[in-house]
Order: sequence, then C-alpha cells, then structure tokens
Amino acid sequence: MLDIEDFSVAYGGLRALSGVSLSVGEGQLVAIVGPNGAGKSTLFKAISGIVPPVSGSIRLDGRDLLSVPPARRPHLGIAHVPEGRQVFKTLTVRENIEMGAYTEAGRARFAQTLERIHELFPILYERAGQLAGTLSGGEQQMLAIARGLASAPRLLMLDEPSMGLAPAVADMIFERISQIHREDGLTILLVEQRVAEALELCDRGYVLETGRIVLDGPFQTLINDDRVRRAYLGLGD
Amino acid sequence: MEWEILLENVLNALAAGITIGCIYGLMCVGLSLIFGIMRVVNFAQGDLLMLGAYAAFYLVAAWGVLAFLGPEVAPFAGAILAGPIVFAVGWLLHRWIVARVSGLRTVASLDEGHFGQLIVTLGIALILQNGGLILFGSMPRAVRTPLSSSAWMVETGIGDATIFLNKARVISGLAAILVVVALYWLLERTRLGKALRAAADNPTAATYMGIDVDRAHRIAFALGSGITAVAGGLVASYLSFTPFMGLDFVVIMYAGVVLGGMGSLLGAFWGGLTIGFVQQISALVLPPQLQNAAIFVVFLLIVVLRPQGLFGRSAERA
Ligand SMILES: Nc1ncnc2c1ncn2[C@@H]1O[C@H](COP(=O)(O)OP(=O)(O)OP(=O)(O)O)[C@@H](O)[C@H]1O
Ligand SMILES: [Mg+2]
Repeated sequence: MLDIEDFSVAYGGLRALSGVSLSVGEGQLVAIVGPNGAGKSTLFKAISGIVPPVSGSIRLDGRDLLSVPPARRPHLGIAHVPEGRQVFKTLTVRENIEMGAYTEAGRARFAQTLERIHELFPILYERAGQLAGTLSGGEQQMLAIARGLASAPRLLMLDEPSMGLAPAVADMIFERISQIHREDGLTILLVEQRVAEALELCDRGYVLETGRIVLDGPFQTLINDDRVRRAYLGLGD
Repeated sequence: MEWEILLENVLNALAAGITIGCIYGLMCVGLSLIFGIMRVVNFAQGDLLMLGAYAAFYLVAAWGVLAFLGPEVAPFAGAILAGPIVFAVGWLLHRWIVARVSGLRTVASLDEGHFGQLIVTLGIALILQNGGLILFGSMPRAVRTPLSSSAWMVETGIGDATIFLNKARVISGLAAILVVVALYWLLERTRLGKALRAAADNPTAATYMGIDVDRAHRIAFALGSGITAVAGGLVASYLSFTPFMGLDFVVIMYAGVVLGGMGSLLGAFWGGLTIGFVQQISALVLPPQLQNAAIFVVFLLIVVLRPQGLFGRSAERA
C-alpha cells in the first residue's frame, strides 16, 4: 500500500534520513523502532508532506504522494497521529473528533466511526464537551488516536503513542491499537520507543538508526536478532 | 431643575455610548478575527474600514445603485453590502501580498514572521490611504439618511428627563449586533468555522486533518476585512469621512481588541463597546479634542490593572 524508496531528508545541511526504503502492505501493522533522533518523526512528517524530501519517492497504492499537497494527503486516506498528541487544545473533545472527520471519507462514515471510537475509548464520550487542553495526557493520546480514526483512514500512522504515559495507560493504548488492527483490519504504521511491545504487535519491523534502516524483517527475525535483543530489549549479552 | 438636566445628559450619553459602542465592537471583531486565526497584526484594518465606508458611499449616494430602497433603508443595505465587496478585496490582498509573509511558511520561523507582517500591513495601509486619495478624492463624504437627524424619544418617567435615541445609530447598532451573532454562529457551529479555529489552534495538526491552513487564513483575512468594512459602512451613515479616516479608527480598534483580550472574539466586541462608552461619557466633561485622550487613559488603566484584557481569561491560549 505504502512504498517508500531510497528516501532522504535534510534539515539545512544536516541529513535526517538517508536512503530509507520501507513498505507497508494492506492490512499490516508495521513498526519502526530506533533511538532518539534517529529520524522516525521526520519520516512521518515527510509522508504527511510538512518536511520536503531531498530525493527518493513515496507511493500510496502506486500513486506518487510527493506531488500531492500536504493538506490533500489525509483525503487520500493517510491519518497522522503526531508525536506529543497535538490535539486542538481550544476545541472540545467532540470538535476535535469532528476535525478528524474533515476528510470526505470521514464525513461519510462519521456516525459509525464515532460509535466505534466511543466503544474503544468510552472516556471520550463522557468528556465530549470538555476542552481538549484540559484532558490528562492519557486522555489526550486517546483523543489523538480517535481523531485519526475519525478520518476513516486506509493507513493510520502513530508516532510514539505511549510517550510520557504511565505503564498501565500505555498498556491500554497498546491493547487498543492491537484491537484496531485485528478487529477493524486497519493498516498501521507505528513508531515506538517501547520496542518489546511494538515488535510483539507487528507483522514486520524496521530498525532506524541515525537516518538509516539498519535492520528489517518480520517479527520473528527481529526478536531473535542479537543486536536488537541487546540494544533495545536489554536481553542476552 | 439642575440635576434632571444632568441625569438627562448622562442617560443620553449612555444611550449614544451603547449604539456607537456596538459599531466599534463590530470593527474590533474584524481585527480580532484576523489576529486570532492568523496571528497577524494587521495595521491596514482602519483602511479596510475606510474602503467599507466608500463602498457604502458609492452604492448609496454617488451611483445610487441602492436608491430604489429609499433613503431610510439604502444606507444600511449599503453598509451590509460593503461586507462582501471588501471581503473580495481582503481575499485578493491576502492572495497577492499577505500570504507571502504569513501562514504555514512562517509558523515554524523564530519570530513567526511578525517583522515581515508588520512592514507589509503598514505598506498596505499606506497604499490604501493614498490610493483612496487618488480614487475617491479628499473631499469629505457622507451617506445621508433622514434617520440620522431623527430620534426615538423615550420618557424616563423621572421628571422631564427624556432619552433621545438617534434612529440611524440605533439601527446601525442593531445591524452590528446581528453581524457579530452571525459570525459567532459561523465560527462555533459550522464545519468551516471549526476548521478555522483548528487551523488557528495548531496549524500543523490541522494540516494532518486535511485542512488547508493557507486557505483557512485567506478566508479569515477576507472575513475580518469584510466585517470591519460593514462597520465602516455603518459609521458612514452618521459621520463624514475622508480616505484617512482609518487612522482615527485603527486606534479605537487596537484599544478595543487589547481591552477585550487579544484573540477573543466576543472580548473584542465588549472592548469596542467599552471604548464607545468611555468616548461618549467623556464627551460630557471633556472638549472633543480630548476624547481620544480619555480613551487612552482608560486603556492604560485597564492594561496596567488587567493585562489579560477586561474580558480575556489569562490562560485562554496556552
Ligand atoms: N525542524 C528541525 N530542524 C532541524 N533539525 C531537526 C528538525 N527536526 C528534527 N531535526 C533533527 O533531525 C533528527 C531526527 O529527528 P526526529 O524528530 O525525526 O527523530 P526521532 O527519531 O523522532 O526521535 P525521538 O525518538 O526523540 O522522537 C534529529 O537529529 C533532530 O535534531
Ligand atoms: Mg520522534
């Protein structure tokens, strides 16, 4: 569904991504892991079009995505749940979800997705009229994911959904992501620092370090790789 | 009796303050909309007001396009129609000029592009003033209506004290309230309004939702221009004006918007209303030349005592 080839991004003169190739198949959950500053968020921003590429290509169902203006990309089915949640603080919970459904597909399916959102995150139903800025961190993360789901996307991109959350809340978020993947069959691209959880969920994973893919493969390969076990899972020696 | 005359004067000043204040409130709302959504401080706002006044003047008096509505209705229809006309002007100004120094391309830069915006909007102000001088001439104009010299009289029941409600101003004030209510409804209830607020709140996240932030800004700039222009058209029904009228009113607008708390739309309306009040009350005791001074004294007092604005909540924007 999503094919990225030999993709590079630079901030000023500094390379943040060099020659990254990655693909996400229909219905898959693909995880990207890597240390701070590896370029994971940069990759997401490039897919959404808010940082320009130096070279390479991004295709969605074979269609060149780089020639599509950033604000049109969500309408093609890409939902970006950004790092640090970035909810609309001065809008209510309900209005945030409505803005998620700004896409044509989201609007057409709003009633069903809203029901599904409330099933996954009942707290958002209780807080519908509250300003999003007054939600707790965990609730804001749920809202950010809900807002992504509301666009009725074909590809859901989640950037560190567990960041800054208490373990129990993070576990709950992981459980919901897995549920969305299994029950709704949604294609998901997930960036995570909690490597064990992320790799456990995924069909396929990529390890990104200083802007390069250093390792990729299915869950079994990664979880048994010595480097991954030592550097990310704190196992073996 | 002396105190009855005093009472009558005070009540009439209050009534004039409310009606004029509503018009000031409307012009402030236009400025506040642009600032609130684009974070652009628009120094040309007074000159957009001037364009509104001239739009009403040409529609009603010079070309008489609206003459068929009769001298009572035409000036107000002209003021309302000035809205869409100056909306179009604002749209083009944004497209050709303002967009180059604002929007997504500047939210990421360190000063958020404020220096460029300051110079560009000042430039637009100068162009509009001098362009206005060339196109419209320096002769003071007015949109006359018989209503501006007639009044509704309200008996207070206290002695002979009577309140005179200037008909033109009362209708202008009501029209201003109507426009503010319509704008509020648009922003709070419609998909477009919510998208405008989302674009203001977090431009990057709005882009992730599929909202075209630059287009949202264009709509906000055009709407803010049109709203202030309606106020200009309403002013034209009771005041004569020249292409430089914007200079007086931009001061009122900034004072009102800061009073109301920057970025708060209803706050801006109350701020404008307060300015109208202070101006009319001060007219009781001060010569006309000092009325603007009175506005600034009150303005300074409030800014010192309540820096978040009279009606602003200090944490409204985090
Ligand atoms: N706007 C920017 N300007 C300049 N450099 C940037 C910018 N954004 C990111 N970078 C740099 O690009 C590199 C990759 O950053 P990125 O945010 O993509 O990392 P990340 O993998 O998401 O890290 P984290 O896990 O901490 O979120 C970093 O070295 C960062 O300093
Ligand atoms: Mg990141």
